[in-house]
Order: sequence, then C-alpha cells, then structure tokens
Amino acid sequence: MTRTAAWSALALLVSAVLIVATGGSPVEAMQALVRGSVADATAISVTLLYAAPLLLIAAGACVSASAGVFNIGQEGQVLIGALAGAAAGLRLALPGPALIAVVGLAGALAAGFWAWLSALMHRLRGVDIVVSTLLMTFVAQQVVAFAVNTPWLLQESRLGRATVLPQTNKLPPRALLGSLGSYPGLQLNAGLLIAVAAAVSVAVLLTRTRWGFRVTMLGLNPAAAAHSGVRVTVVTGSALAISGTLAGLAGAVLLTSPLSTNRLQPGGTLGLGWDGLLVALIARNRPLLAIPVALLFAVLRSGGSFLAATGVPSYLADIVKALLVLAFVAPRVPWRRLAVA
Amino acid sequence: MGALTLRGITKRYGTVVACDAVDLDVERGEIHGLLGENGAGKSTLMRILLGLETRDAGTILRDGRPVTAGSPREAVALGIGMVHQHFSLVEPLTVWENVILGDTGRIRRSRACAEIHEMSQRYGLPVDPLATVASLSAGERQRVELIKCLRRDPAVLILDEPTSVLTRAESAELFAVLRRVVRSEGRAVVLISHKLAEITAATDRVTVLRHGRVVFRSATAATDVAELARQMVGREVADAAALGLIPAAPHVPEKAQGDPALRIRGLTAPGLTGIDLEVRPGEIAGLYGAEGNGQAQIGDVLCGLVTPDAGTVEVGGVPVDLRTPGALHTAGLGIVPEDRHRAAVVPAMSVAANLTMKDLGTRVWLDRRRLRRRARELAAEFGVVATSLDAPLSSLSGGNQQRVVLARELSGDPRVLVLAQPTQGLDVGAAEDLHERLRRCAHDGMAVLLISTEIEEVLGLADRVLVIASGRVAGELHAAEATPEQLGMLVGGGAG
Ligand SMILES: Nc1ncnc2c1ncn2[C@@H]1O[C@H](COP(=O)(O)OP(=O)(O)OP(=O)(O)O)[C@@H](O)[C@H]1O
Ligand SMILES: [Mg+2]
Repeated sequence: MTRTAAWSALALLVSAVLIVATGGSPVEAMQALVRGSVADATAISVTLLYAAPLLLIAAGACVSASAGVFNIGQEGQVLIGALAGAAAGLRLALPGPALIAVVGLAGALAAGFWAWLSALMHRLRGVDIVVSTLLMTFVAQQVVAFAVNTPWLLQESRLGRATVLPQTNKLPPRALLGSLGSYPGLQLNAGLLIAVAAAVSVAVLLTRTRWGFRVTMLGLNPAAAAHSGVRVTVVTGSALAISGTLAGLAGAVLLTSPLSTNRLQPGGTLGLGWDGLLVALIARNRPLLAIPVALLFAVLRSGGSFLAATGVPSYLADIVKALLVLAFVAPRVPWRRLAVA
Repeated sequence: MGALTLRGITKRYGTVVACDAVDLDVERGEIHGLLGENGAGKSTLMRILLGLETRDAGTILRDGRPVTAGSPREAVALGIGMVHQHFSLVEPLTVWENVILGDTGRIRRSRACAEIHEMSQRYGLPVDPLATVASLSAGERQRVELIKCLRRDPAVLILDEPTSVLTRAESAELFAVLRRVVRSEGRAVVLISHKLAEITAATDRVTVLRHGRVVFRSATAATDVAELARQMVGREVADAAALGLIPAAPHVPEKAQGDPALRIRGLTAPGLTGIDLEVRPGEIAGLYGAEGNGQAQIGDVLCGLVTPDAGTVEVGGVPVDLRTPGALHTAGLGIVPEDRHRAAVVPAMSVAANLTMKDLGTRVWLDRRRLRRRARELAAEFGVVATSLDAPLSSLSGGNQQRVVLARELSGDPRVLVLAQPTQGLDVGAAEDLHERLRRCAHDGMAVLLISTEIEEVLGLADRVLVIASGRVAGELHAAEATPEQLGMLVGGGAG
C-alpha cells in the first residue's frame, strides 16, 4: 500500500515535470482537471457518463482475466456492440422501454458472440487468444466502417443534396438512456446503474457460484482445474463470451448516452475499450475495486479535455494515465525475485 | 568458529510463531541435520537465512561476522545457497538455461553446457543440459536444482528435503557427493529431511525443532532413529516404514476378493509401453521402481492430464473415457499425484478451497456454509495446521500442503485410491498415521495402488508388489516372497 502510494507520488511528480517541460503550469493543469471533472454538477455528470462504459468493460475484463484468458479486444467488442445496438435501434419499431432493452441486448449478444469467436479459433486452430482478440478489433473497425459507408446498410439517409457522412442516422430519442430523476444540474444516467449492477453481479458470479470457482481455479492452475473436472474449453469460451457481452453492453450504453452523438461512427468508442482494460488491470481483476478505479479514469477523461485550455497538450492526460497505471502495477512486480533469477 | 551461527532467530506470522529464539551452529566440514515435524519452522528458518523472509529478532553470523542477506542474491554473495523444498525451475526452458538464469554478462550455450557436463561428472548428477525442464522427472529436476546451486560455489549449502523424490540408490549417491563436498571442499551442509534413516546415515550432528523451538541437539552417533522420532513428534513411532526401516516381519497380505476395481490394459503413452495392472478391492498393490521409469506418466494418465496413445482404464469394470475432464474422479478414482503443485492444488487459493475443490456440489450457487464445515472437518481429521482456512495454501508448510491433498482425496471415499509418493514431505508421525489409514481403507474394501520409490514403504504396506522399469511392468511378487534383494534384481533387470 505504502509502496503504491510512493510510486503514485513518483508518477505525479514525473507528470508535473512533463507539464513544466511543455510550457504549462502544473497548478493550472490540476485546476483544469478538477474544473472539468468534479467542480460542478455538470462536470460531475459528464464524469459519471464516462464511468459507466469504463466500468462495464472493466467488469468484463475481470471475468476473462480471472479465467486466465487475456481478452484485450474490448475496443472492437465495444464497436460491435454499438453496431448491433444501432441496427436494432434504427430498424425496430418498438415502444421506448422495449427498444432500449433490445438495443442493449443486441449489443451485448453480438459482442459476446464476437469475443467467443476467439475462443473458437483457439479451440480449432490453437490461435493465441491475446493475438486473436486484438486482431479482431481491427476486423471490427473494418466491419463498422463498411456498415456506415454502405447506403443500403446503415449509412445515414440522404436528405436533399447534403453530403452524407460515414455514420448512421441519429437514434430515435425513445431509444436513448435517460437520466434517473432530475437534480438541479446533476444528471444520473441509467447507464451508470447498469454498470454498477454488472460489476456487482460479476463479483457475485466469481465468488459465489460454482462456475466462478471453476473460472478462478482455471486461471490460477489450469492443470489442477482440468484434473478436478473443469471442462477447460467450455469455461474459457464462456468467460470470453461474458467479457465480450459486457464490452458490447458498454458499446450500446455509449451509443445511447448523452456523451455521444447517438450515431454509430467508426471512432465512436473514444478509445474507451483500451481504458476499460487498464481499469481492470489496476483493480487487479476485482470487479468491486474496479468501481472507484473507473471513476478515477473517468475524472481523467472529463478533466483531460479541459487541459487544452491551459495550454497543456491534452495528450498529457493520457501520459498521466499511463504513468498512474505503471505506478499501480510497479509494486506488484517481484523486484526481489527478478534480482535473484 | 562456525561456518554459520544463528542466535535467537524469531519469526512470527500473525499469531503463529514459526521460529522461536532458535540457536543453531553449523561447522565447516559437517553435514548438519535439521529435523522437526510438519510446520515446525525448518523451511522458515532457512528462508530467513536466504533473505526470502525477514526475521523479527536474532543474529546470523557467517564465519563469525554478523550478516544479513536482504535477498537470495546477497545470500549467494555471502556464500549461502539453498535447494528448496518445492522446485523453482522454469518449466518451458531447457536445463542449461535454468542453470545460468540470473547470470550477468554474455550467454554462451556451449560453455554453459560444458560446465553443466563437468559438474554432473564431478558430483555424479547425470542430466542432459539440452533437455527441457518440463520433460524431466522429479528426480532429474532435483539434480538440476542441485547443479544450479552448487555452481554458485556456496560455503554453506542448505538442502530442504532434497531426497523426498529420489530413490535409495540416488540418495546414497547424493550423500556420497555431499560427503565429498564437505570433506574435501570444506563446505558446510544443512540437511532437512523427514527420512530418519537417511539423517542417521548421512549427518554428523542433528538439531530438532518442535513448534519453532529447538528441543534437542546431539551428535548423530549418540542418538538413533527411534529417539529422533520421539523428539520430533513427541510420541513413540512404531511403524517401521514411516521410520524408513525395512519391516522385520514380512507383511501378511489381506484377503483381496472380487473383480478388480482398477484394471489397466495395454496402457501406452510417451514413456509407457503396454502397462497391464489390476487392483482388487481390499488390497494394497505396490508399484515399485526407480524414479523416472514411468511412474510419473502413469500418474499423469490417471490424473487426466495425458491421454494415452493406446490402452484402457476401467474402474469398477466400467471403461473410463480419459478425454473427459474429471471422468476418473466421477468414476470413483482418487489420486494423490507425485508432483502436487502441478495438478493437485491451486497454491494461490485458500486452504478451504483446496480441500473442497472436487466436491462443490451440483447447484449453481456454492453452499459456502457446507464447504466451510467440510473443510474444517477435514483439516481437523488430517491434522492440517494452518493459521486460517482462508489463508492461501502456499502459506502452509510443505507437509501440511501434502495433508490437504491426502485429506481431499481420501475423504471422497473413492473406490480406487492411487497414491504416488504419499508420504513425501510428511513427518514420521503423519506418515505413520497415513499408513495406518491406508491399511484401514484397504481393510474396508478400497482398492489402493501405491506408487513408490521407497522400498520400505512398499514392503511395509503392499500385499502385492509390481515392479516397473523402463515404462513396463517387469515383474510381480507377493508380499510373502518380496525381499529387498528380489525387488532390487527386478528393478535392475528391467532396466538392462
Ligand atoms: N508466508 C506465511 N504466512 C503465514 N504462515 C506461514 C507462512 N510461511 C510459513 N508459515 C507458517 O509457519 C509455520 C512453519 O512453517 P515451515 O514451512 O517453516 O515448516 P517446516 O518445518 O518447513 O514444515 P514441513 O516439514 O511441513 O516442510 C507453519 O505453521 C506455517 O503455516
Ligand atoms: Mg518445509
């Protein structure tokens, strides 16, 4: 714990030095970060909007990592989830609540299947799961690009002589996730509720069910798991599918959240897939721990966009994030053991 | 002046006092035996020496100078080297890579191999430097560990249960090597072992720990196996096999009845050719042979880790589909494999989880209350000493980890019980208890297959002894006719 604190302090120090080096002022940068993320009700609302998909993705990553399967293709799974969600939301004529549910369900199932394909490739051809989930992200990007560039698929309708962009139409308002109650200025979007519920469910699933026990066993000692009757391919496949499902749900939530344009766009994930993976990494694959970590990352997201105003390049927010990740991971590196080996 | 002197070493884990003001003197040129029941604190004491644990109190003197190793690397610089109770080799790498792991400077394969070759000649530790560690038997891995350690030229060499996986001949060779290392190279050796016969034969002086305290020290010549056993576990141990002695009277076989509970036919896998064997309910069949003759492979097949190329396994007359995970367990076969850390336990999971992992019930939700109760019962019945059932298994002493596996496998009330080196790592008291329990199980109609490299154990327990050599069954003897000489001939004959 103290070591983590020391490493984090070091990371912040390095960040400050970098800000000074790029001609900014660390104090101003800090203020901007706070102003953009937690200073007022609007900023907090935005932070919470970012936290929801981050937490969903991280909760999924916890499942696959617990099984010892490293799914790093969340970015693609988010996209596939958004694609399926958009297709459902645009094509189905359902009443509001049902449409919302169907959009979420479509995103979740499609991405779950997408992730499961990697397990299938592993089973049939022995393709490494880390590699295939990563590569499937690029495939997903192509699929989405194709869908939004093809008029008879999902590309936006041509109105008069306006140029059409590679994106879908806006989802109808009744498909969008609303906020839960209205407090002056503060919006509590339903997406966050879904995400917290997902994180809690994953925690329960992993610690209280037979399946979760097997997942944990498989992740920690595959030989012992096989020996005590765990069907390795089934458990691996289901763990991957669940992690994809949650990433896909994140895609649907993102698509229908006030954060986005509510259209499917190739860059619409905002890179949250990668961030969600980092959240799980810092949370040591513990879904409940992922809740505060996702909030921290959301703060960096929403505050990061305010950095530019202080003359600090906004990518510095990414660098700070990366340094923080290193600070959290560093104390877990068995330095002593490395020195011996 | 001692090569190594410990004064008042104390180490606590929470409420457990693993080492309680331990004093120990190890002279240059001696082999010093360190004994004690499971969990007495032997490994902890040595890990402190090596800088793997920090001590709460006490001083360590090397050649009279106070020292503290902060890490094993510093310990090497202080001339202290250790071979651990559990292997610490990197399986996918080759032998030579493992041996030079941690070296700095340029890596030259040819030089490393030549060096390993030279060392294996000098110390009589044959090993192929180019082999992958994953493909080696436990005995061979042990040799690699030894070479790796000796290569760093330690003045004090610590061996934590080095022979638990070696045959008698291999152990004898090892001790010849150690003698030489001690006499002509002037090193000091600390030897931890539960094999008392070995301790009395190989060491010069002994120190016995109980509950973290030194309770007995003596020159080896002035004591004997029975006294050491008494000092260790605090009671008389009568079971000859547990003490590592050949039983005086031949074993009287139980009456085995009925159809074989375990029948293996024509089992062929890498390292095994056409193994046929049967075990009937109510008998203990011994499978005896030198390490590395196929026992590990039989274990792998019966653990469901390896699918054989040919052959069948029947439990209770029903063929088992070996490709289905857990099929053998479902069919009623309990197994204690030789390399527990590989397949039998999940070290990072709790003691309770390890005790119950094969008995999770059939429902979606775990009945945590039931599992806890079960774990508590088993731990009590098998004398598993743990700070808490929620502590990770890896925090248990070696012998207590073994008790966990035994408890789990025996408690499932299997039809067939296969045990490979079951007393490995157990103290004499626990070994005696286990032998008693196995006899009782067989008496109650269980079919027991005892895979062992220990002739004393096989002679003391088995109703029938099968000898395995070079992956084949080389012969079979009944308990009444089995003598060490006869078994020795079969072991040698099969290999030739
Ligand atoms: N990391 C740890 N955390 C908590 N308790 C520990 C830890 N390491 C050891 N212990 C406890 O300290 C005691 C001594 O353990 P140690 O491994 O030294 O026993 P040992 O004499 O080597 O026994 P064995 O013959 O079974 O190998 C045990 O009760 C064990 O549970
Ligand atoms: Mg030990």
